[in-house]
Amino acid sequence: MDLDRSLVSGSMALLVLKLLEERDLYGYEMMETLRARSDDTFHLKAGTLYPLLHGLEEKGLVTAYEREAAAGKPRRYYHLTDQGRCALTEKEASWHRYARAMHRVLKGGACCAGA
Amino acid sequence: MPERKTIQSWLETAAAQIRWRRARPVLTRELAQHLEDQRDAFAAEGQENAEALAVEEMGDPVAVGAELDRVHRPDPQWGPLAAALVLAATGAVLRVWLTAGWSDRSADPVRSSLAVILGGIVLLTCYFLDFSALGRRPGALYLGSLAVCLATVAWGPEIANVAYAARYAALWLPAVYACWAFGRRRSGWSGLALTAAGILPPAAVCLLIPDTFGLLALLLTAALLLFSAAGCDWFGLGRRKSAWAALVFTAAAAAPMAAVFLRSRRLLVALHPELDPLGGGYSALAIRRALSAARALGEGAETAPPIQAVPNAGSDAFLTTLICKLGWLPFLAVVLTFALLMAWLLHRRARHQSQLGRAVVLAAAVALCLQALCSAAWSLGFTLLGGTFPLLVGNWNTVMDLGLLGLALSVFREERIARDAPCSALPRWRVKVTIQRVS
Repeated sequence: MDLDRSLVSGSMALLVLKLLEERDLYGYEMMETLRARSDDTFHLKAGTLYPLLHGLEEKGLVTAYEREAAAGKPRRYYHLTDQGRCALTEKEASWHRYARAMHRVLKGGACCAGA
Repeated sequence: MPERKTIQSWLETAAAQIRWRRARPVLTRELAQHLEDQRDAFAAEGQENAEALAVEEMGDPVAVGAELDRVHRPDPQWGPLAAALVLAATGAVLRVWLTAGWSDRSADPVRSSLAVILGGIVLLTCYFLDFSALGRRPGALYLGSLAVCLATVAWGPEIANVAYAARYAALWLPAVYACWAFGRRRSGWSGLALTAAGILPPAAVCLLIPDTFGLLALLLTAALLLFSAAGCDWFGLGRRKSAWAALVFTAAAAAPMAAVFLRSRRLLVALHPELDPLGGGYSALAIRRALSAARALGEGAETAPPIQAVPNAGSDAFLTTLICKLGWLPFLAVVLTFALLMAWLLHRRARHQSQLGRAVVLAAAVALCLQALCSAAWSLGFTLLGGTFPLLVGNWNTVMDLGLLGLALSVFREERIARDAPCSALPRWRVKVTIQRVS
């Protein structure tokens, strides 16, 4: 079953920043890593990824530089900045808060436990 | 017949959505690389129509292009541009007003106005230039600039054995040298040697003019650039080795400059003008006498000697004229405005990504700040190195300085698409020696 797009789109920045937390990646590598790590659940279109990356660069959350990839071709690598690391921590925390709340609501009944 | 899905057509459609034309090739290069990777991956899986599938995978080119267009817009620098023009216009008005009635030494209103207009045109031309083009052909730019300087030395006007037109052209030599140094990146020791040796021809031009200020600006730019290059490991030698090389270069450049200053007694006379009251110390003493009667606001006391008695009161010592005629506060206002502009420039440079951009801004800032320092010090009676205050004093000087500032601002205008051309990694050679015991 395909995942509802709207569920993913809001979390794309978080996913990209999380991938860059480990090491510097270029766009295609990022997409493939995301696909492999999510068991093909997050199938990110390149047309979504690049405007998102450029937007993050504009905000100073990532920086980019050109380097030769393993195949010897020049590729534009993205690197998580300190500001990006802080943003990632905040986004992760708010995501966990959101996920816990969703889980409680979907489980049903729990909302009235404290009442 | 259905339209064939090719990488080229997808890229052209996406690029057409981006209104900033200069950003198109920069942005589509990354998308092209992605498409090629995707196509190769499909081809490796054995898919026949790998290119069409890769294009399909990319999504709608119009939507992608529109999104990129939203993110990438030129970053206009209208504030600093306006500040530079206001400073230049203020300078022209002040020169004409304060030197009125000085017979042959008063500033010509027509020439001063023309200098501001021409300076404005040069400022905007340099601002709208693609500064990254300077980094694409650094050799041609370097040789061309040297040729122009030499031609002005040979055939330009001379006053008291100084090629004055060449002095104005030499203001751009630090920026040209920065591009030359940028072009030597990732070339190892040969790149470092060429960068260091590259200072010799422009330095020789400065000695031919002769232009001590130009030489100092050039050497200071080169030293700062080499330290900055060491920090980024431009030459691929490692940061420590590059920093040591920069230190050796700085020492080698500073030693002869210091020797020249000490031997000519310039420093001694600048500090103690009373040692040579009718020679090198005359200007300093005249300036100090004039300033002694200056007030916070308004014209100095009537007991002060006339400002016309100060040598070069309309040019190098114009700030002395400003202090004596209008007071210390207008002087501080003008100097602080310029200092704020330079501080802003250096602050933006620190955040800038492109190494070429940083090098160009550094060179422009060194030339402008050094002029300001020398001129302000001269006007306060410390007459070590003469020079006109940038943007405020001088006609051709103002034009050249506005051009330099326009070039520096063009770097920030294109900040969002500033990319340094990739360099191939240096080959690493390692010699392995093994000693084996033969039984």
